[in-house]
Amino acid sequence: MASRKEQKEQARTARIAQQEAVAASAQRTRRIQILGGAVAIAVIAIVVAIVVSSSGGGTKTGSALTSGSAAKAAAKLVDTELANIPQSGTTLGSPSAKVTLTYFGDLQCPVCADFTTGQLGGGLPEFITKQVKPGNVKIVYRSFCTASCNNPSVSNPQGLFNKQQEAAYAAGKQNRFWNFAELFYHEQGKEGTPYVTDSYLSGLAKQVPGLKIASWQSDSTNPVYASQVASDNTLATKYGVNATPAFVVQGPKGIASAGSGVLTYSDLVKAVNQVS
Amino acid sequence: MSAMAGSEHQVAAAGRSGGRDRLMLAILVFTTIGFLDAAYLTYVHYKGFAALACFGAHSGHSSCETVQSSAWSELAGVPVALLGLLGYIGLYVSYYVSARLDGELGRGIGFCIALIGCGFSLYLTYRELYSIHAICEWCVGSAVCMTALAILTGARFLRGDPAAVAQ
Repeated sequence: MASRKEQKEQARTARIAQQEAVAASAQRTRRIQILGGAVAIAVIAIVVAIVVSSSGGGTKTGSALTSGSAAKAAAKLVDTELANIPQSGTTLGSPSAKVTLTYFGDLQCPVCADFTTGQLGGGLPEFITKQVKPGNVKIVYRSFCTASCNNPSVSNPQGLFNKQQEAAYAAGKQNRFWNFAELFYHEQGKEGTPYVTDSYLSGLAKQVPGLKIASWQSDSTNPVYASQVASDNTLATKYGVNATPAFVVQGPKGIASAGSGVLTYSDLVKAVNQVS
Repeated sequence: MSAMAGSEHQVAAAGRSGGRDRLMLAILVFTTIGFLDAAYLTYVHYKGFAALACFGAHSGHSSCETVQSSAWSELAGVPVALLGLLGYIGLYVSYYVSARLDGELGRGIGFCIALIGCGFSLYLTYRELYSIHAICEWCVGSAVCMTALAILTGARFLRGDPAAVAQ
């Protein structure tokens, strides 16, 4: 039989063991709670970040920007179409091309969008691939206010027109005018609505591969582009332009109007052949 | 940083008869590489892409430029590179907490941050591959670091206090 001292020692050992077991149990519980909390917080944070990022992928700013997947598809299409074609300011194509096609456009003009994106038989994409890319023709974009100046939903339509065109020209300073303009046409809002905002323009700019946003923003307010838009208007008046899109071709045989509207690829080639 | 986690190292070292806490060392290495990577990307984001060194090319532009100027380079207007940098700073803070204040809580916070970073990095890598169609080596580097950290900090959390393990 154990002595009184031994009994006390056994009781003490049992008490310590019980305390350690309770402490270990509490520690396990706390660890499980922290682990559960960490995983739950991480899952929620990841889901929220992905949802915000996905919705921002295409509709980051400006209600006229299309959904994430559509904006993504447009950006890819434009990038592919313009790949490996020289750009300088608003000029697309080789500087040594013998024929120049001047394209008078308004970025809010839906007919220009049809022509530029290849809708309703618009021939620009095919023309770029078959005539501009090989170096036969270069295209120079000029501004002429049509749909923008007839927009009843904005207080200063001419001012907004100037702003959007100048924003595109500012992208041209980084030789990405055509990426910006084509994305504008691909993601154009409904005619006559006030979709062209600062956030819409910066949203487009952010979709242009390699465009330095800070430089683009500061260049957008450069008065040189306001002058360029004004001189484009003077030139359009000189050529008798009264609608967009309108076209003038110039080549070794002279200069000629190529008409206006949604020209097909064969219309454009015919016009080019007249002067080359 | 080593000073931050120093006490934990010391405890581990004492408990393991001079052995080194290699797990914590690996965590610190990956955190430092990721931190420098994210700091560089944040610098480039604000300084301009001219400072961006990149091996890939994409439609006449560097592939890193394409990724860094894409719609997915920002989250609610905040550059994801900056978010990554804040994540790595958060990891350092968690190491400090685990070393000096509350080991269990600090290890849990570290695991949580690394898990968030890993999940979002994998999502961004998916976007690079299937939406942007361009790869930014610096971004992939950070994603690799975050993935490694999620695994290592998870192991560290499950291991618990190095001193208790050694006893």
